[in-house]
Amino acid sequence: MAASAQAIDRIAAAPAMALLDDAAELARFTRWLPARDGQRTGESSLRIGGMHCAACAGLIEAALRRVDGVVDARVSAAAQSATVQWDATRTRPSALVRAIEQAGYSALPDTAAGARALRLKESRAAVWRLFVAAFCAMQVMMLATPSYISGPGELAPDLKQLLDWGSWLLALPVLLFAAAPFFTGAWRSVRVGRIGMDVPVALGIGVAFLASSGAAFAPGGLFGTEVYFDSLTMFVSFLLGGRYLEMRARHRAAVALEDSVGRLPETAWRECADGSVEAVSVLRLQRGDTVRVAAGQAFAADGVLLRGATRVDESLLSGESVPVDKGVGAALAAGSMNLDAPVVMRVERVGADTRFEAIVALMREARTQRPAMLRSADRWAAPFLWSVLLLAAGAAAVWSVIDPSRAVWVAVSVLIVTCPCALSLAVPSALLSATAAMARRGVLLRRLEAIDGLARMDTLFIDKTGTLTQKESGGVQMIRVDDGAHWSEATLRGRAASLAAWSTHPVARALAADRAGDATAWRDVRELPGQGLEARDPDGTRWQLGRCAAATLDERGLSSIAVDAWLSRDGQPLAGFRFAESLRADAAAAVAALQRDGVRVALLSGDTPARVERIGRLLGLTDCRGGLAPDAKLAAVRAAQARGERVAMIGDGINDAPVLAQADTSLAMGEGAQIARAQADGVLVSNALHDVVRARALAHRSLRVMRQNLVWAAVYNAACVPLALLGWLPPWAAGLGMATSSLVVVLNSLRLAR
Amino acid sequence: MDILYLLIPLSTVLVLGIIGVFGWALHGGQFDDLEQHGAQILQADAGSVDPCQGP
Repeated sequence: MAASAQAIDRIAAAPAMALLDDAAELARFTRWLPARDGQRTGESSLRIGGMHCAACAGLIEAALRRVDGVVDARVSAAAQSATVQWDATRTRPSALVRAIEQAGYSALPDTAAGARALRLKESRAAVWRLFVAAFCAMQVMMLATPSYISGPGELAPDLKQLLDWGSWLLALPVLLFAAAPFFTGAWRSVRVGRIGMDVPVALGIGVAFLASSGAAFAPGGLFGTEVYFDSLTMFVSFLLGGRYLEMRARHRAAVALEDSVGRLPETAWRECADGSVEAVSVLRLQRGDTVRVAAGQAFAADGVLLRGATRVDESLLSGESVPVDKGVGAALAAGSMNLDAPVVMRVERVGADTRFEAIVALMREARTQRPAMLRSADRWAAPFLWSVLLLAAGAAAVWSVIDPSRAVWVAVSVLIVTCPCALSLAVPSALLSATAAMARRGVLLRRLEAIDGLARMDTLFIDKTGTLTQKESGGVQMIRVDDGAHWSEATLRGRAASLAAWSTHPVARALAADRAGDATAWRDVRELPGQGLEARDPDGTRWQLGRCAAATLDERGLSSIAVDAWLSRDGQPLAGFRFAESLRADAAAAVAALQRDGVRVALLSGDTPARVERIGRLLGLTDCRGGLAPDAKLAAVRAAQARGERVAMIGDGINDAPVLAQADTSLAMGEGAQIARAQADGVLVSNALHDVVRARALAHRSLRVMRQNLVWAAVYNAACVPLALLGWLPPWAAGLGMATSSLVVVLNSLRLAR
Repeated sequence: MDILYLLIPLSTVLVLGIIGVFGWALHGGQFDDLEQHGAQILQADAGSVDPCQGP
């Protein structure tokens, strides 16, 4: 059975594979290289599956190079991807994929190659800046050591001068190249009139460099004789190290989310004028085409049902939890799933005009209107910066009265000793280790700010279908309609489960998953499209699982009972099976815990109000809104935001995507629609709602750690600034104090990662 | 200790040179994947071995 299922899969995949060569599909993962001597060379990115170790990369490369027409093949084991250059006159991408599959691996077109190239570039630039800063800092420290360890008069003035010049030369690349992001960041925030953390950093670096340059080239002049190149370069490399770690965490989350992106082209079966059927890419569909859609397939475009009747699962689009019956003339929406029978539809709208794309457009608009969240660090930065500037200016003014020759020197030392290293590491380092801890517990965060939002949310909107509830497990209700004498309940359930195991239909899968089937040796198993399964037991009796003839039901007076599948013997129904939409196992506990924690929980669903009410009662929620279209959900969230509430949203469907984009903080279920996961700030990988409670607890702890870090940095500054104001703080002490305070902050943050 | 007047400038220039070499290696992609090339030696068909070192 397993083997035959695989064979079916392969047959189904074959046209999809051939479609890889369609120009419209090709454009998704291939770029054309400039033509050389008349030949057209394509460069395709493929995602490789089944690689276990680095050595596999070489095997795949060798397999690709053996294909006639492959110019070059490079496989990266770390990225699990291949880049292949091929000659368009001699081979096609489908041949490349086949070669990889024959080597024992799987390959899918890689549409995220652009994002990966961008990440590689970003990561190289970050390592490059970090290396320049750290390596120069080490050398500058070496050159600074003599002036620290020598006694008075031991270091010849001209030698000291030479050492200072060397330090200046090595600090130059750090300032001009490595620290450039701080200067551009500071300039950006000054231009929009907001003071960010980059401003004091850039000011500290800039002033320290100018003052030290003055001291190095005109010793004993306006800026005194002390140089601060070692503190300056060390400071920059600390900050860049922090940013590098932050970037790594961001990239890891992006990679994890991308793993689900690769897929074969979506195939549509188009009927030609002469009645034959051809497989085409969904990108090729046009208005007016007639398309066949098999059971279990998603509709590729909006349209009208022409022939046949079926039930359609629209839950991802509308939140409606019950499959909708569709007859001839009914409207079909792209992205919904055909459950029962093969049908023929006429395409009415494709691409940007479909309902799916309309929701995407709504989501883009919401993204731009999302209220900007101020980082907690930025709230602290402004008063801190102003007090430092005032102190420095005040000190300069006072000293210009006492001793004008030392005025500038003291102001500079104030600016350096308050170098906001610990302060600027306080928040990112805590956010970073909290993100890592959450990732280990099954919550992948894409935006670090989401931690702030999780801890501070007042209102949590939850989607119902697919988020609070799930369909496929538990809660199969059996309604017996036989005389009750021949069969026990367990026998009927076991019989149904063993028959259901022969089908991949969603209802059958749910039934088979509900309990282990009995050991009936079924013969002549047939699956009738739209009708269900039919088989004979060893005695030759005919059993059916699925629909039941309407005449029979009327005769027995059963037509008013709504069930998902009937189990019939010789055409007579014995029992009906109904799938209660069941709450996720941990939903009630998670919602109760959040409410105890002071979060107002409300339901926002596209399903019928009655069903939403029922789930709401089960959870003890008072605010349950049903029957909402995506824009009505959006309006509800905006209204809450307008009341000043901080809103979080958990959802899974395509219809949730706009709300996920609008809410201050948003989480998507791991098994939800791709677009919802792409929109949310974080993803609940394990689909367990209890993870939200734990993530919130962790977010609270990280806020506490952030506050400790900020307090520590403030105390350090409060202790050192007076010393600097009095002119008592030598540069080595300032550098040491800065390094220790940064270390304390980082170590404190690391406690979160445990 | 007059040699210091030569050695200090020399070391500074050397540091800048080392940074340049590292930048060349980094941008050549040598640090993008640190494991794959080590495993290449385990492959049977070592077709890409430098022919100058031939058997």
